Amino acid sequence: MNSSDVCQEIIKFVKIKLEEEGIDDIEVNSDSSLIGDGGIIDSMGIVELCLFLEDKAQDNDFEFDWTSDSAMSNSRSMFKSIQSLADTFVEQFNT
Amino acid sequence: MIVVTGASRGLGNAICKRLISSGKEVLGIARNISDLDFESEKCDVSDYESLKEIAKKLKSNNQKVEGLINAAGIAAMNLAITTPKNTTEKILKTNLMGTIYSTQAFFPLMIREKKGSIINFSTIAVNLSLKGESIYVASKAGVEGFSRTFAREAADFNIRVNCIAPGPIQTDLISGVSEKQINKIISQQMQKKMFKQDDVCDLVEVLLDEKSKSLTGEVLNIGGA
Repeated sequence: MNSSDVCQEIIKFVKIKLEEEGIDDIEVNSDSSLIGDGGIIDSMGIVELCLFLEDKAQDNDFEFDWTSDSAMSNSRSMFKSIQSLADTFVEQFNT
Repeated sequence: MIVVTGASRGLGNAICKRLISSGKEVLGIARNISDLDFESEKCDVSDYESLKEIAKKLKSNNQKVEGLINAAGIAAMNLAITTPKNTTEKILKTNLMGTIYSTQAFFPLMIREKKGSIINFSTIAVNLSLKGESIYVASKAGVEGFSRTFAREAADFNIRVNCIAPGPIQTDLISGVSEKQINKIISQQMQKKMFKQDDVCDLVEVLLDEKSKSLTGEVLNIGGA
């Protein structure tokens, strides 16, 4: 598993979520923020994304822990960007 | 499936039996499950990891969870300054942390269904500020605050969160309270009568039912306070 592949899967997931809400004018890439003022999805989307990653982790025989004291921090959160979330996911897979 | 904590005794046990008799699939969670004749898991609700393990097992069995009833609770009638530290911690861990932990563990399973009802338990003592129950009241006031606020987070997923706040109900929880004290509490309720476990079970069924779909973030005081 590599971070780039996970990143692409998250981007795909987020795009589908946005499309479901009729939003098609937001660019989604690895730098897109998932939280805060510039966040491209709402808290409901974050939770659904966590569940998506939980399922993916289960398929790969590990447990994805999305809890963190800095979850809502713009600078330190794993949700600060799609890339950081993908990196955290792969890091937990490798641990 | 409806997950019920505190399933071995008191209200939790009565709720499990009522739901099972109504045809619901129930998973009871309790510290002691040796006497339970329905599906159950042994777990202390203050043990977050154990709760997560149960949730993990349910998920791997593709079990759908549509209801969570946090009925596990303990009480110790005592003045705040004469309550031992260990007892204080135990009350807060079971009543408040247990409610939060089990919600954190089982809510992700409920999100997947995009519907459901979470029922937490407070006490009429919160509204009445009953002397000698300050630690217990602190834990239950926390449960009320958590319920009202978490109801907003859960609403996005069509999941309702409500609190039932009973007055004195004949269970082990009030076995150490004198009849005089119980009557004094009842006299402060709007409806001056002692309600039964069945009355609480009735309300639980209402809150689980879709007919109460407009109700969330509420604290329902049995008997009125």
